[in-house]
Amino acid sequence: MSLLPPRLTLPAIRGLRALGPGSVSNLLKTALDVAYAVLILLTVLAAILFLTVAVFPMEALDLVVEDDDGGTLIPLPRSHALFGVGAFIAYFAGFALILRHLRRVFRTLTLGDPFDPANVARLKQIGWILATVTGGVWVGQTIVSRLARNVMDPPSVFNLVTPAFSVLVVFVLAEVFREGARLRRESELTI
Amino acid sequence: MAIQVHLDRLLAARRMSLTELSDRVGVTVANLSILKTGKARAMRFSTLDALCRELNCTPGDLLGHAPGPQAGGDDPAGT
Repeated sequence: MSLLPPRLTLPAIRGLRALGPGSVSNLLKTALDVAYAVLILLTVLAAILFLTVAVFPMEALDLVVEDDDGGTLIPLPRSHALFGVGAFIAYFAGFALILRHLRRVFRTLTLGDPFDPANVARLKQIGWILATVTGGVWVGQTIVSRLARNVMDPPSVFNLVTPAFSVLVVFVLAEVFREGARLRRESELTI
Repeated sequence: MAIQVHLDRLLAARRMSLTELSDRVGVTVANLSILKTGKARAMRFSTLDALCRELNCTPGDLLGHAPGPQAGGDDPAGT
């Protein structure tokens, strides 16, 4: 019988590759493509709904807002309905635009050149769109809560903390990419 | 750029073409042209060593300094 301690063996861990089929980037690319297609579809559907509400008489649609208790029924005027559907269109279109930029950023990554100067502008645009969309959602919720009193509570200012943090992260990333692009340019002109 | 590369002067003195120097030092003609026209931002010691060896000169013969404005264009996004 051997007196030596048993050797510990670890099972081989197969890590995901950085690029190519079955890699993290490939999974992310698929996720981005699917999310982009879904958002485009939702934007188109919301646009069709907007046109429907704008064209058809509201009485025929019989739209009402009901609270959780099922109590008071608040009639939904056409202008309010159009505002709501329009807000959804802007929301979906905004995120679709963000995903469009992200897909382009990702394309530069798969081509092996992520520090393309154009990505700095793309990331900054993503930051501004994200700020506009999330800020717009907060303003929209505030307006709706005022229009439908006792039905919906107004959003808290703390609801803006997470979106503001996300926007900050995107702008910091844009600056990182700017420095990366500068270093790449400098390395290109190093003989 | 305040740093000047006197590559054209040294090439003329040695009656050597840019293509010939490119073959000798193993740097492409395009990159040597960037160096010659003063568009380069930096030079590796290995390149400097090869150039000095083939041109039979010192780094001081190849490089000069003339006070002037700093090179711009550090903002690749143009923002």
